[in-house]
Amino acid sequence: MKMDLVSGYKGVVGLVFGNENSSSNEDSYIERLLDRISNGKLAEDRRNAITELQLVVSESNSAQLAFGAMGFPVMLGVLKEERDDIEMVRGALETLVTALTPISHVKGSSNEVQPALMNSDLLSREAESISLLISLLSEDDFYVRYYTLQLLTALLTNFPQRLQEAILTIPRGITRLMDMLMDREVIRNEALLLLTHLIHEAEEIQKIVVFEGAFEKIFSIIKEEGGSDGGVVVQDCLELLNNLLRNNGSNQILLRETIGLDSLISILKLRGSNFTQQKTINLLSALETIKLLIMGGSETDPGKDLNRQANKTTLVQKKVLDYLLMLGVENQWAPVAVRCEAMRCIGDLIAGDSKNLDALGRKFLGEEPQVEPALNSILRIILRTSSMQEFVAADYVFKSFCEKNADGQSMLASTLIPQPYPMNRAPLEEDVNMSFGSMLLHGLTWGETDGDLEICSRAASVLSHVLKDNLQCKERVLQIEIEAPVPSLGGPEPLMHRMVKYLALASSMKSKDGKSGASRNSYVEAIILKLLVTWLADCPNAVHCFLDARPHLTYLLELVSSSSATVCIRGLAAVVLGECVIYNKSSESGKDAFAIVDAVSQKVGLSSYFLKFDEMQKSLIFINAGSTLTRKAFTRSSAASMADIQDEDENDLSEQGNLDHPILSSILNSYFVNLVTRLEADIRDQIVEVYSHPKINVAVVPAELEQKTNESDSDYVKRLKAFVEKQCSEIQNLLVRNATLAEDLAKTGGGQNSQSEQRVSGGSDRIQLETLRRDLQESSQRIEILKAEKAKVESEAIMYRNLAGKIESDLRSLSDAYNSLEQSNIQLEKEMKALKSGGSSTFPDVEAIRAEAREEAQKESEGELNDLLVCLGQEQSKVDRLSARLLELGEDVDKLLEGIGDDTGAAGDAEDEDTD
Amino acid sequence: MSYAYLFKYIIIGDTGVGKSCLLLQFTDKRFQPVHDLTIGVEFGARMITIDNKPIKLQIWDTAGQESFRSITRSYYRGAAGALLVYDITRRETFNHLASWLEDARQHANANMTIMLIGNKCDLAHRRAVSTEEGEQFAKEHGLIFMEASAKTAQNVEEAFIKTAASIYKKIQDGVFDVSNESYGIKVGYGGIPGPSGGRDGSSSQSGACCS
Repeated sequence: MKMDLVSGYKGVVGLVFGNENSSSNEDSYIERLLDRISNGKLAEDRRNAITELQLVVSESNSAQLAFGAMGFPVMLGVLKEERDDIEMVRGALETLVTALTPISHVKGSSNEVQPALMNSDLLSREAESISLLISLLSEDDFYVRYYTLQLLTALLTNFPQRLQEAILTIPRGITRLMDMLMDREVIRNEALLLLTHLIHEAEEIQKIVVFEGAFEKIFSIIKEEGGSDGGVVVQDCLELLNNLLRNNGSNQILLRETIGLDSLISILKLRGSNFTQQKTINLLSALETIKLLIMGGSETDPGKDLNRQANKTTLVQKKVLDYLLMLGVENQWAPVAVRCEAMRCIGDLIAGDSKNLDALGRKFLGEEPQVEPALNSILRIILRTSSMQEFVAADYVFKSFCEKNADGQSMLASTLIPQPYPMNRAPLEEDVNMSFGSMLLHGLTWGETDGDLEICSRAASVLSHVLKDNLQCKERVLQIEIEAPVPSLGGPEPLMHRMVKYLALASSMKSKDGKSGASRNSYVEAIILKLLVTWLADCPNAVHCFLDARPHLTYLLELVSSSSATVCIRGLAAVVLGECVIYNKSSESGKDAFAIVDAVSQKVGLSSYFLKFDEMQKSLIFINAGSTLTRKAFTRSSAASMADIQDEDENDLSEQGNLDHPILSSILNSYFVNLVTRLEADIRDQIVEVYSHPKINVAVVPAELEQKTNESDSDYVKRLKAFVEKQCSEIQNLLVRNATLAEDLAKTGGGQNSQSEQRVSGGSDRIQLETLRRDLQESSQRIEILKAEKAKVESEAIMYRNLAGKIESDLRSLSDAYNSLEQSNIQLEKEMKALKSGGSSTFPDVEAIRAEAREEAQKESEGELNDLLVCLGQEQSKVDRLSARLLELGEDVDKLLEGIGDDTGAAGDAEDEDTD
Repeated sequence: MSYAYLFKYIIIGDTGVGKSCLLLQFTDKRFQPVHDLTIGVEFGARMITIDNKPIKLQIWDTAGQESFRSITRSYYRGAAGALLVYDITRRETFNHLASWLEDARQHANANMTIMLIGNKCDLAHRRAVSTEEGEQFAKEHGLIFMEASAKTAQNVEEAFIKTAASIYKKIQDGVFDVSNESYGIKVGYGGIPGPSGGRDGSSSQSGACCS
């Protein structure tokens, strides 16, 4: 394999650098030098040869290739066997470094052979050479260690996995590398870079490096270098630190449990007000570390949540909030990028953690007597900053603070008390003593005079966080009334009405302004709409308040179908309309859910109304997909670009042009998008519901259609007629509505053939279907009843038939009985006649008497015979007993009995013989 | 975070003998009957007191499977103590002790304190290795011995603390150069350096390649 490669390279040399002669010259030159190195006798000559070789290799790609084809065995040989000759070792290492370093001034096309890469490949193939290089790190000579580190770094950049595997198998390999961190400054800095490459995406190596004390070493270097005021080495340290902690729960636990977070947090401590570019990057890197700890270990780690929780708790215990507030809020000189990151960290830290939420809620900033709650300071940033990024970051703090924090929301809402009008005019700079609520209300109405609604929209964003999912706060803020700017213009009006007014103002300004201000106002509108969507959700009173002013509905209907509004605005306006349907508890005519649906259907058309949702959904998904890509690993280059946030801010604004504003992606966060998606489904269902159960004037109750028991036929007919008349007018009404719907369907259905269209028209079909189904159900119900009745009657009929049958059979048996009685009667009569006609029947009687007498005689003789037999038996038993007694006494019984009766004796003998 | 000393421990032994459970019982005081197979190495930490001095234990629980051996071996050298664990209900885990010990002797520093633990002693009815055999093996190889149960917590505290006490005694006796962190011992900020604190002068130059 290796031989093939080498010959392959030789071929490539010829191919790529076409000039056969020059390359073969170079080849043979390098070959000669290598020969001198390996076979030279004089030490001086060999040293010269190696210096020369290094020079040649540094000059051209072809020389690098030629060296790669032949030089490695010779160089490795020197490293292995000539350790004592430091100069030779240095020379060999330097040559190897040169062979692995791309020659930068040649700008080749991408498919050109890269000799430096090929040489890295060759050198890293043998685990043995890696082991050899690691062993060189123990050499006393500075240059030997320095070049070796450079060589290893070059190999790691190109073939990280191969190197990682090789180093793991070398006993104490990582320990040696770690020792380099405690070496002289130059070596240490090289080692930092090498380790960063070594641990890249290798969790187990990250753990070993930490086992070897990486954290202590990193923090001691950072401290030595002056913390965040230090140079690029501090940045390298922090990058190594971040790579050790990213998605590595085990290392995070170790840092937290045994090293502690103090050293990390102290990096955030500011000394002086001078922010260099490097210091900005260092601070951003340290903030990234905080963020990594807040995120916890890898997704697959079962203890991830526990670990993340512990990290958050420990960070807050160690007062990280104070440092973050200093960086993000209090410090006047911190660059925007740092301020934004610090605020995002605050947001992450408090999100979903009740203790940390409380901790932030209780924080006060500033010095006596100029002290105010931290949240007020953050609100002021929102209202005052000129950077959109900073607004978004500060807004994120409020989002995190209010989410699932009803107590916090109530605390903020409780301060929302309108101030007397003149107070509102005080400049924002002097409002340290202003409550959160006054400041927010102030912000909400800021645009009143100059028509700049940007601040108003930012305040509206904060207000929507305060109201989110909190019915109590929603109700409370509904009560707030705002004085008219000029008292003569009328009395106070509800805050909500004022917000709708600003929404209308924003859209009208946009149409006036033309293109330049378009993108800016589109997010103003979006934010105010978001506020309305949040406010109306689940809150019938808010819906009622909104519909209280008739023009609101009209305006919203216009906005939904406005061609100048963006997809997003139209969609959000449609959501607000939908909320007016689903959360409408009003029964006032003209304001109830049915009236709203009717208005939508007449002014917008139901299918085009639903189309707005689909369009927005597509764009929202798009926005979301874009925003998830922003989190990337932190590297030197990305750090630099992070620091330039300020510039990007402006670029983004101009680039986006007609599209929805980039700010929207952070304002319409996933939480809100989910809310909208949920609402949309409800709205669709509710509207179908409204149409399928129209307000019915005539109740259809089948039972009432029957004739009542005491009702005369004419009354019954009258009643039915009245009913039919009512139903007729009802049907007339429904037909009119049906026509509107059909018209709507025809208008939109024909033109386009997008999927969403079909779905929407399917919706109105569904309405019709629904009514048809109801009709069907009703009639089938009636059929059912009739069927049951029929069955009942049938069963009764059968019963009666059975009864009749039974009675019939009874009757038959009676007549039978009668017949037989008659017959016997006839016979008796006949007998009587026969008796009367003469008796010739005595013979049988004589014979009978004779037979009787005979029977009697027979019975008598039998009895006598029996008696005799009994007597005989008794005599016999007597004889037997006596004979036995005699036998006992020794008498000869047979002799005694001889002669008593020869007959019996003979008979006895005969019997004896028989039995023997 | 103030401690007098910090000791690094490793836990080694066959897969399934209960290494992770011992660590969990020691650091979290709980037992998890079903534990995922350890991948690579897991970390745990706890503070204990020896001789009235706070001592921080950093414990690395290693995977017992052969495939992780190249990773786990990297932890031997820098550890001050090792818990070598076998399962008293599985004879083969006891039979493998010799090879584990050989591995440790080869890769660890010579002064590493090794505690032999016969785990799962709550399962007496399934015992396959007698206490005497364990004692005998420990005696032959100069190890401290204990039978323990990660399930009932019996002897778990004792095992970790006894190991620490043994290391502490070695420090008092001047066996270690505590300024050299490659022995897995670190003198804390809040602690008093051991009697050998002044002897580091000789080794500071060649600190990188001591062995």
